Amino acid sequence: MTLSASQLGVIREALHLGAEEASRSLSKWIQRPTSITFDSFEQLTLDEAVGVLGDPQDPLCFCAMEMTGHLEAHLVLIFDDASGLALADLLLGQAKGTAIGWNEMETSAALETTNIMCCAYLNAMARALPAGDAHDLVPSPPRFGRDFAQSLIECALMDQIVASDQVMLARTAFRIDAALVNWTLLFVPGAGALERVIEP
Amino acid sequence: MGDFGVAEEGVIKTLLGSCIGLTLYDRRLRLGGMAHIVLPASRSASDPPGKFADTAIPALLRELEALAGALVRTEARMAGGANMFGTQTTDTVGRRNIEACERLLESLRIPLVGRDCGGAAGRRMILELSTGRVTIEIVGREPFEI
Repeated sequence: MTLSASQLGVIREALHLGAEEASRSLSKWIQRPTSITFDSFEQLTLDEAVGVLGDPQDPLCFCAMEMTGHLEAHLVLIFDDASGLALADLLLGQAKGTAIGWNEMETSAALETTNIMCCAYLNAMARALPAGDAHDLVPSPPRFGRDFAQSLIECALMDQIVASDQVMLARTAFRIDAALVNWTLLFVPGAGALERVIEP
Repeated sequence: MGDFGVAEEGVIKTLLGSCIGLTLYDRRLRLGGMAHIVLPASRSASDPPGKFADTAIPALLRELEALAGALVRTEARMAGGANMFGTQTTDTVGRRNIEACERLLESLRIPLVGRDCGGAAGRRMILELSTGRVTIEIVGREPFEI
């Protein structure tokens, strides 16, 4: 199903609010000025979607959460090793460059950040949508992994691919201490989830 | 993604998440091909053939026979079908893709001689045309052959 311009407008507004709320939560969590800004919400073909994370061959880290309830979605925080380990250093109160691999503490820092940020994001989004009710959203525990960019996108979009040749996803940009960091937060709605929320 | 190709030399490779990579190789003629299968069954005649198990395998065979100018006797290898996020849909689709490929290969009497399917990790699948060797690469692990 293709969304109308007015439906897309409603979704974009909800995504803006989600990003703002996630930004506030992240600032509080890492105790630094941060800014998460809604970057784009696109309907893409599969071939176009494969390129959204840059080179499909690149190995990237991800923390993924699944949300069930009236707004089914995947939220996937994606970052390269350097950006993720810098976050771990920040949260663990150690000098930048101390974390050099994904051990228990570093992974835990990334997962907890994802949990806090993504729950804030989706709760705000759910409140902003016409059939919104943040109370029936059930988040899964976040999962951490490292994988090829294309493999990651393929798995994230599978629910939509089953239903349609077009996929929908939203991206955000991150700034910490006013500097752009190499993180991407993908919001991938379940097949038909947005249509159900907009036209209950 | 959802595409296929055949060749006589060099390598053919693809990146897989929940999709299935399927190779067919003729050892005598030293030529082969690979399909990146997304879903088990096509929805309409206008769908790209490489995307679906039921159309990709026959299309791959046709292309190989056109390349060889003769009938081919192939063996198959299969990889992919990962469920990275542990979701029900991906699990179901991955399983159905694998089953659809197995069924078709059996009906075409093509032996499935190697496989690495399921799990949570994405894969890079590489077919070397000179040898028919298929290598799987997974982030953080040593490459291995199937």
